[in-house]
Amino acid sequence: MSGSIRVDNLCYHYPDGTPALRDVSFTIDPGECVGVIGPNGAGKSTLLLHLNGLLPDQSHAQGAVHIDGERITRANLHAVRRKVGVVFQDPDDQLFCPTVFEDVAFGPRQFGLAPDRLKQTIADALAKVGLSGAERRAPHHLSGGEKRRVCLAGVLACDPGILVLDEPTSNLDPRGRREFKSLLKELPATKVIATHDLEMVVELCSRTILLDRGQVVAAGPTVKLLSDEPLMLAHGLERPHILLHRHPHPPMMDNSSFPLECATWTTTGCSNSS
Amino acid sequence: MHKHLLDSYGHLDSPVHRRPAWLKVIAALATVILLVVSPPSVILFAAVALILLIVAAISRVPAVFLIKRLVLLEPFVLGVAVLTLFQPHGGVRFLVVATRSTLCLFTLVLLANTTPFSDLLDVLKRARVPSLMVTTLALMFRYLFVLKDESARMRAAHASRTFTADRRHTWHATASVLGQLFVRCGLRADRIYAAMCARGWK
Repeated sequence: MSGSIRVDNLCYHYPDGTPALRDVSFTIDPGECVGVIGPNGAGKSTLLLHLNGLLPDQSHAQGAVHIDGERITRANLHAVRRKVGVVFQDPDDQLFCPTVFEDVAFGPRQFGLAPDRLKQTIADALAKVGLSGAERRAPHHLSGGEKRRVCLAGVLACDPGILVLDEPTSNLDPRGRREFKSLLKELPATKVIATHDLEMVVELCSRTILLDRGQVVAAGPTVKLLSDEPLMLAHGLERPHILLHRHPHPPMMDNSSFPLECATWTTTGCSNSS
Repeated sequence: MHKHLLDSYGHLDSPVHRRPAWLKVIAALATVILLVVSPPSVILFAAVALILLIVAAISRVPAVFLIKRLVLLEPFVLGVAVLTLFQPHGGVRFLVVATRSTLCLFTLVLLANTTPFSDLLDVLKRARVPSLMVTTLALMFRYLFVLKDESARMRAAHASRTFTADRRHTWHATASVLGQLFVRCGLRADRIYAAMCARGWK
């Protein structure tokens, strides 16, 4: 099950008058994975909040957001939120319950899942993110990567057709990043990912939208868009390393002639431990 | 994965920890009520104290930890108890009030450290305590840890750029850290509310 998104001429300005989104329009088809990139303050997070009707202050907004062809209004807000799952940037904002179980159960409970099916739903959601058996743990005892995966589990438990992710790989170590990316890759839902992790965009997203100063500057096939170096540089980004592979790499600080100094590291074969 | 000062020993495994949470809550509540309504009697106070000490011993919660907790809360008790000193027979009254409240506190400290907080919340929920209050308690418990980390980070950042031991400067900095913390709490509350709405909060 995956849903579609259509945004028509969306404008939004903050209560103090600062414009955040100007005339943003795009469509996303069911099952697509789309990246939203742009410099800091481009309006990425604000745009994502609109996809879930989280900026209810309609006096500051014009235009429309359609989910599965239906315009988001005050009346269908809860139905929309069930279809669109959001993974926020800071896991500590999203994990607001005292235990992992309670947190993953939060969405399904709100949507009125029968209590006898709750346990199984939560076990399934945690299994999907590789955290089976973590139900009793407290959020403040989880590592950063685990927190992020519990956030995702809490959203998956609601079975949304659209997943909206804000900086899903920030503050993760390389392993956490890799695991989270392969997790996302396997999910069939439509995905919208706002991020600075351009390598991930190339790996996951077939199409990308470039946002700057609240406007859509460019949109199109990811590799084509991210390979356009002048465009990327003009908007505070860069051509990701993964797209440089066909060219000679830039010079690097290569001091390989010096030996490695390792004290006790033996498993991966640092040879000169002394 | 660090052990916080704020953490309780609620997750230990002992005969006391294994009792159902509701039983412990009722027992604790009964003890507190008994202490408050009974006429002052040395025998009763001693008996309650003895029982509490036995429970504490069985629970295997470190004694030092329990004493620290008690000492931490004691100023509030003594602060109120001191007022009784100004009444006639103040000395005796002071002793009675202080003993009573200390025993009550000890009961609650024991309860909190032999029961996981989430289980206590469950009991409250089942006892039909208004859900708004339970939710508020749950959120408070959850974000105490986040706030503590945040203030520790801010203090570290401040200390790393402090090159003077000037007391006025320190006060000024502490005040601005507190102010910042307050502002950040407000912003975080907005984000938490958005995250709650995103998952269907009504």
